[in-house]
Parts: sequence; structure tokens; C-alpha cells
Amino acid sequence: MRAVVLNWLAIAAISLILGGCASPADRAAMTPKDLTVSKHFPYSLKVQTGGGAQTGAMDSSNIADEDLKAAIEEAVVKSKLFNTIVQGNDGDYALSVSVTSLSKPVFGGTFTVELETAWSLTKLSDRSVVMRKSVKSSGTATMSDAFAGVTRLRMAVEAATRSNISQGLRAIALLNL
Amino acid sequence: MRKAMKLVALLGLVATLSTGCAVNRATGSVDPSTNLSALKTMYVKRVAEDDNTYNLIADKLRTKGVTVTTGTDAPAGNVDAVVTYIDKWMWDITMYMLELTITIRDPKTDFPLATGNSFHTSLTRLSPKEMVEEVVENIYKGAK
Repeated sequence: MRAVVLNWLAIAAISLILGGCASPADRAAMTPKDLTVSKHFPYSLKVQTGGGAQTGAMDSSNIADEDLKAAIEEAVVKSKLFNTIVQGNDGDYALSVSVTSLSKPVFGGTFTVELETAWSLTKLSDRSVVMRKSVKSSGTATMSDAFAGVTRLRMAVEAATRSNISQGLRAIALLNL
Repeated sequence: MRKAMKLVALLGLVATLSTGCAVNRATGSVDPSTNLSALKTMYVKRVAEDDNTYNLIADKLRTKGVTVTTGTDAPAGNVDAVVTYIDKWMWDITMYMLELTITIRDPKTDFPLATGNSFHTSLTRLSPKEMVEEVVENIYKGAK
């Protein structure tokens, strides 16, 4: 009996050390790897994001606006979808991505996260909206991915975001700009 | 000693299976290509299991000068926007609304024109009416 209790104690100690509470989605982990697109536009792009939230010390994983922005910019640069990324008010096109809903489980073994974002692309010279699209994605992490629940949830959020960014950029690549 | 060990083990199990702790959060955003003040007629699409949240949302939007209808099916006539929502409830002594997300969508494409979210855990719980007010106010705060 004592051995069983000691085993549980060891598991508890490890999970508490590995777990913790706050675990924001990481911008590098949210960036799609090896994303290939069919077009490379010779224009500059400004990216803005909204609807996200910081991850508080007592919170579960969220997507911060600035991290989502950085992940999208990195994906655009890597895929060469646009020529350059610009900051401020310049640029040929402006891409706005807003987190509409991020549905997360609060308890369980396998975590599946559902993410919906609103993507709109505007041509800045005449303010015409060239694309408006709702992008829905999901991400799953299992006990084999991470033992601690907060880590597993973060991985599921990051997977959903990677998929979402891939879908959004591929939708833009279908346009004729 | 044995009890203490069991308690720690239980805490460890919770840390393994759960995703986080207590939190309050309120966000709202409007797509830059959307003029929220131009949306004068809206249809709140009621979730089948919901018995009152849709009414609270409709009433709050009416205070913003919007003509609002409600129903469970697609809107019967032309409206400027369709409003969808997700309300999550939790039990702690009594049931309370843990999280509310309201999304204002283009009726033709389903594109999310604006969205707001509030999340309050038990100790700082808000009434459903207060949750609706907070979310709608945050959406309109983000409007141009």
C-alpha cells in the first residue's frame, strides 16, 4: 500500500513541477512548418490581429494578439506569399485576423481545441476588401504528447492555430491580386 | 502522513487532467472592414437548448438602436447581420454562466464581422444579464 501511495506522490510531484498554471501559446509553435503556397504576390503586407487574450497566471492557454501576428508574419515570410511585411500605416495590402472563438476543454485526457478566426484582406490604395473569410480549425493533443494538462492544452491551441494560419494563407493564395 | 500523501496525489491528478485555474477575461473586436453602426437590423439565432440568453442579447442590442428578431432557423427576411452565441455554464453551489461568446456575422457568408467574449469563474461570477451587457459593450467599444 505504501508503495502505491509513494508512486502517486512521485506522479503528483512530477506533474506539479511540469504543469504549473499559466502557459501561453508560443508564437514559434503556432507558425506552420513547411507551408507551401501556389502564388507569390509582389506586394507588401501589413498584418494586424485582434480578439486574442493574454494568458494570466491563473489562466489556461490563450492566443495573444502579438503572438498571433508574429506567427502569421513568419509564415508569410517563410512561404513567400507576399514580397515583404511592413509595420505601421504603409503597405500594399492589410490583413486583419481576429480570433472569433477559442473553445477549450477544462478537463480530460485528450484535449481538442476548436478555433474560429475572421480573415479580411484589404487593398490599401482604394480600401477595397478583396477577401473576407471565416477560418475554422481544430487541434488535438493527447497524453502521449504531454503529461501535464496545461502543457497538453497549450499544444492543442498551438496545433489549432497552425492549421488555422495554413488555411487562411492558402485561401489568400487562391486570389488574383 | 498517509492522508497528506493522498491529498498531494489527488492534487497531482488534477494538475495532470485539468487545464488551468481561476480567471476573469473580457475581450471584443470588430473587423476593420466592418461599419458596426450601419448594421441596423439583426437576427439572434437561438441555440435550441437555451431558454433565455438569446432574449438578453436581443434586449441589449435593442438598446444600441438595432431592430432585433430572434429564432432558431435561418432569418426569414433580409437582415444586416446574424448574431450567434456560445454560452458555457458551470456548477459551483449554483449554476452560473462561465463564458459567453457573441459573434455578429454577415448573413450571406457567415463571416464574423465582430465578436466579444467574457469569461468569469465562480468567485467573480456575473449574472447572465451582466455577462451579455459586458460582451455587447466590449464589441461596440471596438467599433469605428
